[in-house]
Amino acid sequence: MSDHETDVLIIGAGATGAGVMRDLALRGIASLLIDRRDLNAGASGGNHGLLHSGGRYAATDTATAAECRIEGEILKRVAPQCIDDCGGLFVAVEGDDPDFAARFPAACAAAGIACEALTPDEARAREPALPQTLIAAYAVPDATIDPFRLVLENVAHAEALGLGRYLPHTAVEGFETDAGRIVAAQARDLRTGAPFRIAVREVVNAGGTWAGRIAALAGCDEVRLLGSKGTLIIANTRIAKGVINRLRPPGDGDILVPGGTVSILGTSSVTLRDPDDAAARAPTAAEVDRILDEGSAMLPVLAETRFVRAFSGVRPLLLSDAAEEDGRKASRGFTLYDHEGQGLANFCTIVGGKLTTFRLMAEKTADLVAARLGVVAPCRTATEPLPSGPGLGWTAPGASARDWMARADATDTILCECEMVARSAVDEIVARAPGHEDHMSLDAIARRSRIGKGACQGAFCSMRVTSHLYDAGVYEGAEGLGEMRRFIDGRYRGVRPVLWGAGLAQTELAEILHVGLAGLDLLNDDAPEDPR
Amino acid sequence: MRRPHRRIETQLTVVGTGIAGFAAALFARARGLDVAQVGHSGALAYTTGYLDLLGVADGRKIADPWAGLDALRMTEPGHPFGRLANADIRAALDAFIGEVNAMGLGYTPAGAANLTALLPYGVTKPTLSLPETMWPGAAALAERAPALIVDFAGLQGFSAAEFAANMAAVWPGLATARLAFPGMESLQVFPEPMARALETRETRAAFVARLRPHLGAVTHVGLPAILGVHRPDTVRAALEAELGVTLFEIPTIPPGVPGIRLRELFERHLPGRGVALEPNLKAAEARLDPSGITLALHGPMEDLDIRAEAVVLATGRFLSGGLRAERSGIRETLFGLPVAQPDGREAWFRPAYFDPRGHPVNRLGLTVDDRFRPLDAAGAPVHPRLHAAGAVLAGQDWARSRSGAGLAIASAWAAVNAAGAELGSSPGDPGPTTAPGAAPAQEPGTA
Amino acid sequence: MNAPTERPEIDFLAVARALMPAGATTDACVGCGLCASGCPAAGLFGMDPRRFVNMAALGMNEALSTTPWVWACTQCKRCAYVCPMGIDVSLLVGVARGAWPDDEKPKGIVRSCAAQRLDASTSAMGVRSEDFVEIVEETAEELRESDPRFADLRVPMDRKGAMFVVNQNSREPAVEPEEMGPMWKIFDYVGADWTYSSKGWAAENFCMFTGDDAAWKEMVETRVDAINALEPQVWINTECGHSFYTLWKGIERFGLEAKFEAGSLVSYYAQWIREGKLPVNADWNTLGVKFTVQDPCQLVRKSLGDQAAEDLRFVVKTLVGEENFIDMTPSRQANYCCGGGGGFLQAGMNDERRAYGKRKFDQIAATEAAYVLTPCHNCHSQIEDIGGHYHGAYHVTHLWTLICLSLGILGPDERKYLGPELAGINLPEEA
Repeated sequence: MSDHETDVLIIGAGATGAGVMRDLALRGIASLLIDRRDLNAGASGGNHGLLHSGGRYAATDTATAAECRIEGEILKRVAPQCIDDCGGLFVAVEGDDPDFAARFPAACAAAGIACEALTPDEARAREPALPQTLIAAYAVPDATIDPFRLVLENVAHAEALGLGRYLPHTAVEGFETDAGRIVAAQARDLRTGAPFRIAVREVVNAGGTWAGRIAALAGCDEVRLLGSKGTLIIANTRIAKGVINRLRPPGDGDILVPGGTVSILGTSSVTLRDPDDAAARAPTAAEVDRILDEGSAMLPVLAETRFVRAFSGVRPLLLSDAAEEDGRKASRGFTLYDHEGQGLANFCTIVGGKLTTFRLMAEKTADLVAARLGVVAPCRTATEPLPSGPGLGWTAPGASARDWMARADATDTILCECEMVARSAVDEIVARAPGHEDHMSLDAIARRSRIGKGACQGAFCSMRVTSHLYDAGVYEGAEGLGEMRRFIDGRYRGVRPVLWGAGLAQTELAEILHVGLAGLDLLNDDAPEDPR
Repeated sequence: MRRPHRRIETQLTVVGTGIAGFAAALFARARGLDVAQVGHSGALAYTTGYLDLLGVADGRKIADPWAGLDALRMTEPGHPFGRLANADIRAALDAFIGEVNAMGLGYTPAGAANLTALLPYGVTKPTLSLPETMWPGAAALAERAPALIVDFAGLQGFSAAEFAANMAAVWPGLATARLAFPGMESLQVFPEPMARALETRETRAAFVARLRPHLGAVTHVGLPAILGVHRPDTVRAALEAELGVTLFEIPTIPPGVPGIRLRELFERHLPGRGVALEPNLKAAEARLDPSGITLALHGPMEDLDIRAEAVVLATGRFLSGGLRAERSGIRETLFGLPVAQPDGREAWFRPAYFDPRGHPVNRLGLTVDDRFRPLDAAGAPVHPRLHAAGAVLAGQDWARSRSGAGLAIASAWAAVNAAGAELGSSPGDPGPTTAPGAAPAQEPGTA
Repeated sequence: MNAPTERPEIDFLAVARALMPAGATTDACVGCGLCASGCPAAGLFGMDPRRFVNMAALGMNEALSTTPWVWACTQCKRCAYVCPMGIDVSLLVGVARGAWPDDEKPKGIVRSCAAQRLDASTSAMGVRSEDFVEIVEETAEELRESDPRFADLRVPMDRKGAMFVVNQNSREPAVEPEEMGPMWKIFDYVGADWTYSSKGWAAENFCMFTGDDAAWKEMVETRVDAINALEPQVWINTECGHSFYTLWKGIERFGLEAKFEAGSLVSYYAQWIREGKLPVNADWNTLGVKFTVQDPCQLVRKSLGDQAAEDLRFVVKTLVGEENFIDMTPSRQANYCCGGGGGFLQAGMNDERRAYGKRKFDQIAATEAAYVLTPCHNCHSQIEDIGGHYHGAYHVTHLWTLICLSLGILGPDERKYLGPELAGINLPEEA
């Protein structure tokens, strides 16, 4: 790969990095966004997609709660296409502390959060899945957000303004500094293995859980993070109309977030020392059981629900604020390091925070970068609507199915039946979505669509999409099967902890397909090992 | 309304309608036993149609399955094949293939070595016996014959380009073409209706007209498995006569034709062979007593009790319903037979999907004695005449080792022979049998 | 049948949980597509059984409540037959049908159901009880006059205590009363102790097809009351038809008290042949005319299973000669619906119905048989129609026609469904 030059290098293509990219572009500043893996590969893609009303932090952290409320209101205005303003409930059931529940309205009031008390019957009328054991219920303006569409649209908008470029699977391995400034980043294309150089004027470290390591590459040791692994499980059906939170001190299995056609139940919290420890990062059967046992008390239907996968995100929490290294008690606030105290004048690190507050984090970061570049244009992301565009609308659960039904074009073959993703959607992503490239991986396509997300978790669509990509000339030689194998193995890691009942039968069929029919276990894969 | 209650008395009842179940029913009839069989759709539907015996050992393809079996008995003493001699396995395969051929579905004889069979994405697998419609593909590969691979507009998951690209290293120069299937233009198409349509002269003629312009100088044409459901060999011969090339089928991902072909073949022929077949009813409950086994079935309109002196349980695994996994553990669904298993789900699956050792859960199942009788926790047979066969058996990983059909057929053979000996029947002619006075109906002419 | 107006929101997942047995709900789906592959309605309106399941999981309740596909699905339950999990998509289809406002449902089905509710006859073709009694008596009189052999033939009506109460499809009294004759002759021949009921006699039930459970129940109640009143041992459904399924299933589903068993006429044919009461044979078939048979979904897959299919084959093989019988593939419980069921024939969707019927046509064509025997009336109509549409060279007949032909008692005016090669065979000697 040839060398690059950019005004601002943004490292980390999660919500924050993408948000900084767009914020800068709206101020007229060009940037290059890179990620070691791909968009939302870290915590931005590994969460429940809750757009907080702030209710969840009302009892413990009024400032964060208020920040969430304000940012939530802004996002509902500027990015409604990414948001399902479904509302939420906080509910307590028999056995929960009634005093804790009783304090909730006052805590919400302190953070300015609208909170309406409901009788158990009213709550059940709103959410029929709630149990007879309900003792308290409050409605709050929780909503859900599609973090994938959000990030895709932020990146696409910057690209459309001609002031942004995104490179996936690009790692930073070092920085060249000169007189207290970073002059270039030493990067590597992890797919080809080729090293290259990115000349920069400013560098933003939005590496999330990995931000401490990235800062260290530049010689900055002040970013000290605690990884808090949160495991969630996902059902391919929508169990509730809105968000349902358990009204008690945070614990496993205390929140159910619907997202389009799915439901996400979480969250566990386990401290993680090394964010690259894949084994420790993987969700476990024990975590799933804990989440499910707890969640079933709040929503008994969960005990009978088919879950299609588990996933874990690693929350980057600021170690300095973490009390006793307990991820749940650490601050949900964010910090912007200007690193000037560490002798670098054009490097900053933005870390912590929440998906809900990503825009504010980006704003503060862009303020610093713009000032350093001498640009006076103000932030516009709080008022400028987030535009959509081609290749951006396929991540919302149910969107491709509705689109296909509306178009009623039988010749547009469906490749993923579970989620009804048509050939045309895949073609559009391969041709136009942010980060599209030659020989695009199945994982990259899946990240931009619902491929692999339904009940079969990619067992069938991996095969059908691969066949189509051969037909479309995207894959050549033996690369498609290697791609299929990598993708299926990746999906499996999330499926593994929820394998019982129908899921286990599904996996037995998958074994028949992938081993018996595709021979992937014996594939003589000459391609280099997946660097991810 | 009075719900009718029917009762059937049999010597042997086979529970399950997969390869193991159908093989058991055929073997039992060949021994002259009075046989009932019950079951429902299951994993048979997903077969390639190949009859594997042992294709992979230690993560590598093997050429000689018989030597592989000898080795397996040393390395995996608990494997069901460890309770079978090669001679018995061969006799079972020969008998089964003989029966299937006699019913009108051609299979190559089980030989001394594995064949190299084609898979849909341009890779191969070792197998022992091939449907006659697929055998020419293996032969064409062996001689690198000039061949055309055809796929179809609207058919999910089968790409001639993909097949050719992945095959290129060993079979270069494959030509490809995409056709619209006659009468199914502008539609999503499935192999099954295509195959049925090719059973008519009219569709064959239209198909030939569409394929012929693409032939060029090839001698062979590979198609997804669509050459008829009912009489594929006749359909293939009719098309070959028109086209002047050799045709071969390549299995497809589900929903594919080979499994449907086998199921319909057995459903069509077994009643005529004296098997009281209920192909759409799962046994709901079972009761063991010293003199026999009673199965309760609930049809739409009637309840059915089957009283059997002996039972062969061939209910398969999770897909077919023979085993059921709960969060807390795995159980056998009909009799509640013990399934030895590790403590906790975390040990069911390995962290990496394609770990060459396979997953422990795939080796869980019913532990049996030398007469293929499931054992209780104390190691004694649960019942003197309750036998088990096929994928439900513990200690084997049929998918990874490419041994599904061989295991099903050989264990059915052993289970039936043990049951037959207990019931006092003598081993009969293992060849095809027809029940007296039950000549099969004439088949549609497709010539 | 375009976009909907107001209709109740149905939670199809909740319906699935309520109606489908454990282990066979939509949650059990492994996405293999066997249902879609095996469904003749797959592809019509872009829908198939698998998509119905997936769309339920995706919460696309409005799309499922409004897709016209539910009228193209004949609820034949073949999807459940081929599904390893036994998922019965037709249960969801029935509920979806019920969600349609009556004025947007296919008019033919709605009108037929409405007609059935107008009179105690329960006839979809508007034949009232008194008309039926009159038509039966007139037709019987003509038969007695035209065929001396049946000069004493009696067609009992409302005879209490008869062993069998037999129903009658409305098509015969309404448009071709002479087609009732063969069945009467068979009853007469075997000396059956039978009767019609003047109430609830009609062998059709379009109310079930409307998805209106209340109307279905009403229809079944009327019939059960009428049959109970006559105190038979067995209610015999005429040569199949959905009325068989709708009655026994309705009795079960609505918890009605029926003091009789339900039997199929085909099984009684088989029994009478085995007992020697119906001494039929294939001697008449000197030309070696080839026959195939349609297994009615309602009778075989949905009700009696392969026993009924076996009886059907026994009857047919005896009638036409073993060597002249060619089975369709697949057959018995795996048989394809012809596309005449579920009200499809009455739904006014001819293009879709014929596209559906193409698979049945191919099956028949592959047998190269000259005749298709169809016990079921809707099968009869549909198979005739697709034969014409796709230029098939076959005839479609009822079993009673061939039974009487074999016995030499099939009158000249009872041969409208026979081709020219059989029109003159085995005519009654004195006719």
